[in-house]
This record gives sequence, C-alpha cells and structure tokens, in this order.
Amino acid sequence: MSTSAQATRATAPGTTPRRRRRRWTFDKISFMAVFLGVPLIIYVVFVISPFIQSVYYSLTDWGGFSTTMNFVGLANFKALLTDDLFLTALRNNIILLIVLPVFTIVVALIFASLVTVAGSNRGSVRGLHNSSFYRVVSFFPYVIPGVVIGLIWAQVYDPSSGLLNGVLTKIGLDQFQSYPWIGDERTALAASIFAMAWGGIGFYMVLFIAAIRGIEPELFEAMRIDGAGRWKTAMHLTMPMIRDNIQTAYIYLGIAALDGFVFMQALNPTGGPNNSTLVMGQVLFRTAFEHGKYGLATAMGVALSIVTLAFSALVFLVNRLLGAERDVAR
Amino acid sequence: MTQSIGSARLDRRGLLRGSLATAALAGLGGTLAGCATSGGGQTKQETGTKSADNPFGVPDGSTIDAVIFNGGYGYDYVQFAADQLKKKLPKVTPKVTPSTQIAQELQPRFAGGDPPDLIDNSGAGAMTFNSIQDQLEDLRDVFEANNYEGTKISDTLFPGAMEAGTFGGKVLEVNYVLSLYAIWYSASLFKENGWSVPQTWDEVLDLGAKAKAKGKYLWVWGKEAATYYQTLAMQSATKAAGDDFRLPLENLKPKSWSHPAIQKVFKALETCVQKGYFKPGGAGTQFTKAQAQWSNDQAALLYPSGAWIENEMKDQTKEGFEMTGAPVPVSSTSGEAMPYNAIYSTAGEPFIVPKGKNPAGGKELLRAMLSKEASANFAKTKLAPTIVKGGIPDDAFGSTALASQVKMLNDAGSNTFRFTTIGIYGMNTDQLVVWNNFLSGKIDAKGLTDGLQKIMDKVANDSSVKKTKAT
Repeated sequence: MSTSAQATRATAPGTTPRRRRRRWTFDKISFMAVFLGVPLIIYVVFVISPFIQSVYYSLTDWGGFSTTMNFVGLANFKALLTDDLFLTALRNNIILLIVLPVFTIVVALIFASLVTVAGSNRGSVRGLHNSSFYRVVSFFPYVIPGVVIGLIWAQVYDPSSGLLNGVLTKIGLDQFQSYPWIGDERTALAASIFAMAWGGIGFYMVLFIAAIRGIEPELFEAMRIDGAGRWKTAMHLTMPMIRDNIQTAYIYLGIAALDGFVFMQALNPTGGPNNSTLVMGQVLFRTAFEHGKYGLATAMGVALSIVTLAFSALVFLVNRLLGAERDVAR
Repeated sequence: MTQSIGSARLDRRGLLRGSLATAALAGLGGTLAGCATSGGGQTKQETGTKSADNPFGVPDGSTIDAVIFNGGYGYDYVQFAADQLKKKLPKVTPKVTPSTQIAQELQPRFAGGDPPDLIDNSGAGAMTFNSIQDQLEDLRDVFEANNYEGTKISDTLFPGAMEAGTFGGKVLEVNYVLSLYAIWYSASLFKENGWSVPQTWDEVLDLGAKAKAKGKYLWVWGKEAATYYQTLAMQSATKAAGDDFRLPLENLKPKSWSHPAIQKVFKALETCVQKGYFKPGGAGTQFTKAQAQWSNDQAALLYPSGAWIENEMKDQTKEGFEMTGAPVPVSSTSGEAMPYNAIYSTAGEPFIVPKGKNPAGGKELLRAMLSKEASANFAKTKLAPTIVKGGIPDDAFGSTALASQVKMLNDAGSNTFRFTTIGIYGMNTDQLVVWNNFLSGKIDAKGLTDGLQKIMDKVANDSSVKKTKAT
C-alpha cells in the first residue's frame, strides 16, 4: 500500500509528470502478454465469468440436471426472504460473524503479547520463558485441514465416549454424563465456534507476533519507564500500532465465519439441533444437491457474496470512523 | 491502509482496474448469450443391430460408461457383470467407475448433456430423483428381455421388483438389491436373559422396563439416522391402517401425520422417550457410533433399520451377537389392516439409464447384472439378496441376519408393502431436525406431528417441485 502512496507524493504538484511516448518493442509486448494478459485471461475465465453466470442462473429456475431453464426475474431472491431455513442460517452466520472474530482475535492477541512483550519486567522487553516453544505448539492446529479439525472435535464432543465428557465426569461433574455438546441447542453453536477458533488462533497469533515485532522496542521501554503495566501497554501501545493487522484479521475471520461450511458440515452435517448450527453454505448445498433447485441455490450464493462485500465495507468504515488515520504510525 | 492514491494520473493500479472492468463487461456480453449449459443440444445416440445375443442393439466398438455408487456394497459386483458382458460381446468395452458423491460428480455431466450410460444413484449424495426423472430411459424392455440363461427376466424376479422402479407408468429404475425393514436384535442376548421380541407397543414398553432393570436401554439413535424411527413408525401405522394411512402421506396431503394409526405409534415412542428407554445423547452422536453402541457395546436392545445393517456394522459387531431381524411392532396383533408378519420389503440400489450416448449399452449391462451367475455372486459376496430369485442357499452363508430375512419374507408371503414417493422430495434433512428434537425429549408427540406436517406442507405447496402420484 505504502509504495504507491510514496510514488504519488513523489510527483507532488509543481513537477510535471513525465509523459514520454514509449515505443512498443517485442520485449515489452511479450512481457505484457505473459505477465498481464495471461493472468487477466485466467482471471476472466475462471473468476469473472462464473460469477456473471451465477448472477444469471440466480434469475432462473434451473434444475441443475437439464439444459433448459426459465427466466424468473427476482423470484428466487423473494423466496429467500421468506425461507425460514435460509433466514435461520443467515442468523447463525451473523452470530458467527460477531463472535468468532472477536474471540479468535482476543485470544490470539493475548497469546501474541505473552510470547513477545509480556515477559519478565526486568531487562530488555521480551516474551515469556520458552516463548518460541509455545509459538510453534500453538501454530499446530492451523496445519490441520478444517474438515479434520471438525471430525476431531466431533469425537471430542461425543456424548458417550468423548474426551470432554470423559474429563468432566472424571472430575465429578456427573451431569455431563452423555451430555450432547453439539446435539443440544444451548451449546451446539458455542461448541462449534470454539472448534473453529481452536483451528484459527495459531495463525492469527503468528500474524500478530510478526506485527508486534515490527514495533520499535524503544517504545515499549519508554512505556515501561513511564510506569505502564502489561494491560496498559497492550491497550495503548500494541493495539493501536498493529491496528492494520487486526483489521485484516477481522476481515479474514469474518469471511471465514460467513462461510463456515467445512467446519459445520464436519461437526454437524444435519444442521445441528433445531438447525442451530446451520450456515448458509449448508442450505445452499442442500438446495442444490438434495432438492435439485440450482437456480435458488445460486441466488443464495449471490446473496452470500453481497453480504460478504457489505461486511468488508463495514469493517473499513468502522475502522476509519474509529480514527484509523490518526493511529497508524506509518 | 492508506488510500490517498493520486487521482489525476492513471497509475498502474488504475490501469489494471480499468482493464479488469473492461474484461468483465466483455465477458458479460459473451457469457450471457450462451451460458455454461450451452453444451446441451441433442446427444448423438449410437445404435447397432439387434439380435438374440444383443437384444438392445449395443453398437460394436462402443463404450459403456457406468458410474456406480461405492458404498456398503462396493462396486466390484458391477465389474463382475461387466466381465460377463465382455465375454458375450467382445467388441464392446464396459467401463465401471466408482463414485461416492453421485450428485456432485454427475450434475455437470447431466447439465452438459453427457451423462453416463448406467448409474447406481445411491448413497447420501444421490441425485434427487425428481430433477432427473425426465431424462431417463424407460427400462421396461430390460424386464421383457431374456437373461443370459435364456429365461425372460421378469419371470426370474421376486414379485414387486419392477413396481419398485415404476414412476407414473414408466419403469425408470432397476432396483437391484432386495431389502426389507425390521427391528434388529441380538438373538444370543435375548436368549440369555429370557426376553422375547416385542410384537406390540405394550410389549415394547414392558421390555423397556426389563432392559432398564439390567442397566440397558431399549433403543439407540444417531443424529444422521434419527429418521429411522420415522420409517419404523410409518411401517407400524401402515400395518394398522393400510393405504388409508399410506396414500395420503405419500401424496403429501394435509394432516396426514395426524392419522390415528401413526399417532398411536408416536405416543408409544413418546412414552419410551419419557421413561428414558432411549440412550441419551443421540442428537450429538454420529450414527454408526450409535449403532455400535447397540451391536458392539450392547448398551441398547433394539435398532430399527434396513437389512443393510449387518453389512454396515460387520466390523463393529460383538462376537456371537447373532444379529436377527423381526417385523416391526404393531398396536394390536388382531383387527388391523395387515397381520403382524407383514413387512416393508422393497428393492434398493436404484440403477438408472439416462438418455445419453449409449443407452442400449446401459441396458445390456443391467441384463448382465440380472443373470443368474451375477446375482448369485452378489448374494454370496455381499450377504444380501438381489431381486433375482433363488440366489441364497438354506444355510444363508452362515449369516443369522440373512437367514432371518429369508424367514421374514417367507412368513410375510403376499403381505408386503412399500413406500414409493415419500422419499423422492428430499425432505429427510429437515425431518432429521424434528426427530432429533423428539428423541431427545425436547418436543412431544404433538410437536413432532406439527414439525413433520410443516415440512410436508412446504413441499406440497411449492409449485416448483414436480409431484409424483403414489399408488
């Protein structure tokens, strides 16, 4: 981002930009063809054109298995707004969107602070003893694919032979004997969110560690000399300095929350008790592959992408309103 | 992200954006005109000359493309038939491909007008029958043709085999495996404790109390298979009231779940739930794990399922379990529409032949599968009967479950019934939610009835869903 900004500053008012006519040499043309043309074509063929097709299909009643379809206008979108199941899934996605990023980022930030700057109060600013070990360990879950994480946690939450109930009953909490964590409406979504966060925390922790390492150590030392504790340091120095990273993390996690298909399908392929863990991706999948309504399913896809875009715009807007320009030190 | 990018000059990024937008617009014009489905048109059908050895006229040198669901039965039995076909018609190349996700894998091929010639449309990822119905060949001539041994195929099959694949007067599926539904139990465990198999719902409740006394549960369920109890209830109600209950239900009529026959069963199940005869936690348990709690841990006594259960749990069944099936319980053993011995028997594993490149080849492969040799091979390797009669010896290959199947079929005689259209609308996933709630004790029989009716009414009132009349 900053390179282009600097480039712009370099051509400040007063200096006329160079505008020399360049000759088209073979080198230049072949370079552009390979590095601009080819990616552009791939992008258009595999990204843009399916997207446009989807928008078109979402306006039809296509059944998926035939070559014929009727144009139905916005009927599919109207149907979505009155579809209980889709609205339930949308609600679950919105809960995910709020809870998952906040939970993951807070935990990742705490861990990142611990292994970078929250160590001993004496000597130079550093993390906890053996911090590199914790860093590696906490990154492990990220290496496991989402579907495997889902399956592992489905076993952990198993009512009869799961690890969680085993531990809880062992320490004397007998009410958890055969308690179905992902089969009870009260805990299903929370348990699923925890499993998703477990898989993501390591990555965001590493992201934040890198960002925190980018902050001048003198600032932390100055802060400490002024008498700030760990909490104050985190709130008034670390957080504002890595604001960009937190915003990026929020957008990534938000998009992951709006999707959530892999985890939810692995944990609860049927949508959970009373559909409490059903996400839009699952409704889309069912509508297409089980009910054979590809037109409607595509409309869901389009709706999902609109929600995703709206979400990213919202995060940018909120960040700006909260004074991003003022804080960012670059 | 600092966004103070110079505005006056067209910088590199602006150029990129501009060209992307142009490309997008150009793409818009092109793709909207002829969408991805444009592959369509009419598929060219290859034809050959018909003869006694080649009744459907499979062209020489053609390929038969078969996609087979690779589930509990595997796909080697189709390969076996394909090898037989190859012996008969050496110039034809059958190609058998396994798949575990039929709908996802084949949807693009259907949409592109290039479906395979034979499909075993089965498993959790099967294609909704409704959405492909119009593109299937009528398979009546397969039943009229002679088998490899020279007998007319329809004469070699169990009664009702062809009807199981008949929709709106057309034979659109050949359901290859004969299957029946029952409640399954461990004969050795019952013998050891002096229990007898419950025939009425009152006896079910009695047995539940006895099981409790032994520290066991009566029933067990898994979250993806909660609707097995719906199939159980539907069978019991059909035995009580016959078509008076079944037909309105299958034709998605309002209030069909409120029929007194099914309400009696729901009440009995509700009592089981309230008295704690269901092993708790099923709504959070994967279904094969739940089944293993019955077949391996023996934590529960009974399990309602189709005859595939033996094969499915083969590796997770306790030594000496003696898995045995019995007809589902009824409300009263006399004065009902059908006797207690009546069973829900139907053919499963639907094989379909799309109107594709080589439908004659698809039919020929089906003919090979329906030969005596191929069906005997299936019965022997899969421990399940096909729709072809007489593949199972008296010792049932040493399988108690298979022996009890044969016994149930014999006892039932002509008292068999089946459900035809209830399963073709893709309602199962929605019904699972309601059934999981009910079996966990979250809702009562009334809540169950309302929930199921709401799902059914939604499909019934959806004009975009093509309805098939049940008979």
